[in-house]
Amino acid sequence: MEAEMVETVEKPDVIPQVVAENALIVAVSVGAVFAAEEGEVYGAGVAFPLLQAVQTVNERLLQVDPSESERFEVILISTNRVQQQQKERLQSSASAHGLHKHRFSFACEDDFTDSLRQSKVHLFLTTDSTEATRAANEGVLSALLNPLSASGPSEQLRVLFCADAILDPSPGQKTGTHEAVQAFGSRLGKMRQRFGVGDSPLSLVLLTSHGGVNRCCSALKMLRSDGVDVDEAYCLGGTPRGLIMPLLRPHFLLAAAEE
Amino acid sequence: KNGHSGVNSRECESVFVSPRPENAVTIAVSTRVLFRTEKEEKVFEQQGIEEYLRYQMEHENEPFAPGPAFPFVKALETVNARLRELYPQSEELFDIVLVTYNHAHVGVRFINTINHHNLFIERFCMTGGGSPIGYLKAWHTNLYLSANADKVREALAEGIAAATMFMPEKQTEVSESQLRVAFDGDAVLFSDESERIFKAHGLDKFFQHEMDNEDTLLENGPLKSFLEALGKLQKKFYAKGHRLDCPIRTFLVTARSAASSGIRALKTLRAWGLEIDEALFLAGAPKGPMLEKIRPHIYFDDQMFHIEGAAEMGTIAAHVPYGIAQHHNSRKKPAGGT
Repeated sequence: MEAEMVETVEKPDVIPQVVAENALIVAVSVGAVFAAEEGEVYGAGVAFPLLQAVQTVNERLLQVDPSESERFEVILISTNRVQQQQKERLQSSASAHGLHKHRFSFACEDDFTDSLRQSKVHLFLTTDSTEATRAANEGVLSALLNPLSASGPSEQLRVLFCADAILDPSPGQKTGTHEAVQAFGSRLGKMRQRFGVGDSPLSLVLLTSHGGVNRCCSALKMLRSDGVDVDEAYCLGGTPRGLIMPLLRPHFLLAAAEE
Repeated sequence: KNGHSGVNSRECESVFVSPRPENAVTIAVSTRVLFRTEKEEKVFEQQGIEEYLRYQMEHENEPFAPGPAFPFVKALETVNARLRELYPQSEELFDIVLVTYNHAHVGVRFINTINHHNLFIERFCMTGGGSPIGYLKAWHTNLYLSANADKVREALAEGIAAATMFMPEKQTEVSESQLRVAFDGDAVLFSDESERIFKAHGLDKFFQHEMDNEDTLLENGPLKSFLEALGKLQKKFYAKGHRLDCPIRTFLVTARSAASSGIRALKTLRAWGLEIDEALFLAGAPKGPMLEKIRPHIYFDDQMFHIEGAAEMGTIAAHVPYGIAQHHNSRKKPAGGT
């Protein structure tokens, strides 16, 4: 019986990254990173611009302070069982696309969530809502990657905080506790402070769909008290958000903490 | 079905019927024309953005004073109140959207100001530096008012009626019960084709050209669609017997002459199915005194000369940076021009 649980594989000829103490650890599902394609090397998937944007943020953080430890740390995680052959293919694809700096984590289907917890992941990103829910049920903050972000910006990481007046999550859509969102948001807010008002590689955006301007005002104040000073704010007054999502171009969305 | 919904697709979109922007007459107003922000702009110019944002947050609980677009927006709300009385279920109302490329740090102050003045604004976008034009298009904006001529030009290029507003030194009192909107004709409601003739060949040629082409419709101008939108709402009042006390009144204020060149303008409007309540043909006389009598909440003209003249007499005027007039100096008085 195979006792394989979690296997973290480093590429042998790459110096293993030392995980900084206060790193903001983000795990991205391999299914989102690569697009299935024929041939030896997988194509770039939905998460590519996100990974590039995260890379840009890290580089700029180091420019500001070469000893900065509160950076992003990315783990590429497989959420189902991966054969050895496929592992090699994933690693060579990662190399081919310049992603060899990131750690891989190959897990059995049943326990990719264990792997998330063991790696102390702060945020799990995927395009699969079932995966997101499973991770959330195990206490890991999850977010769905915006499918539109596949063609989105790669020079700026854009995170959308959504605050809506509707409080009840529909079944299967739980993605994290209030505290988890707050905690992650605060860390993003702190990271944002490292850059000036203009030309920031990280942009935090607030969207309120319902509830009018006062709802938006409460959300702004609440985020501010969590240390999150958003750059952009959109109050939709009930109009469908699908109209402007292609303009907002977030890489992923977080539910702003509700009152 | 997933699409855009992220972690927070907690809405049941079938339960809430969202207003659809295409049914409303959407008016996008920049914070710099709805409110007076000159002091803050000075801080920005002299001390840079970080200091500007700090200043804004420090004064967060101090509402801004009304700007040049304020009376216009208040009048829109008056019309909405009357429309709601007559058509309680209808979405065909004015929808006012506040637009700024300020950073969201200033958001709280703007919202406090909206509440202080009892403005009914449910939507806004603070783009943190990016262009708002994409959002205006997405929301089917019918009119965009801004202090920034470049942004106005950008909007016009995208087919959105737009105009630049300025704060007049004095403001004459305007009606609180009736929205009054005045338009110049050429290069505002109509294209600038006739103005081109006048500028290139002079007044006589202009008259001849207009007479020869009396039965040819003029082409659309950038504000035609806005007049159309106003007309649709007016018809809703007429349908319920409120023609005489309609809370929307439109004016054409043109340098054309009633007996000659004005005929083509009227024929064009009629062919477009657009009613204008009052057409004033000045035959080249100054517009200021006439506007002072009309007291519109807003007057659209393509020539800065007329805008300045209107402002001198306390009329709130909005410049439409369109057409041949943009290449001419505003300070020179055109002899009996359009």
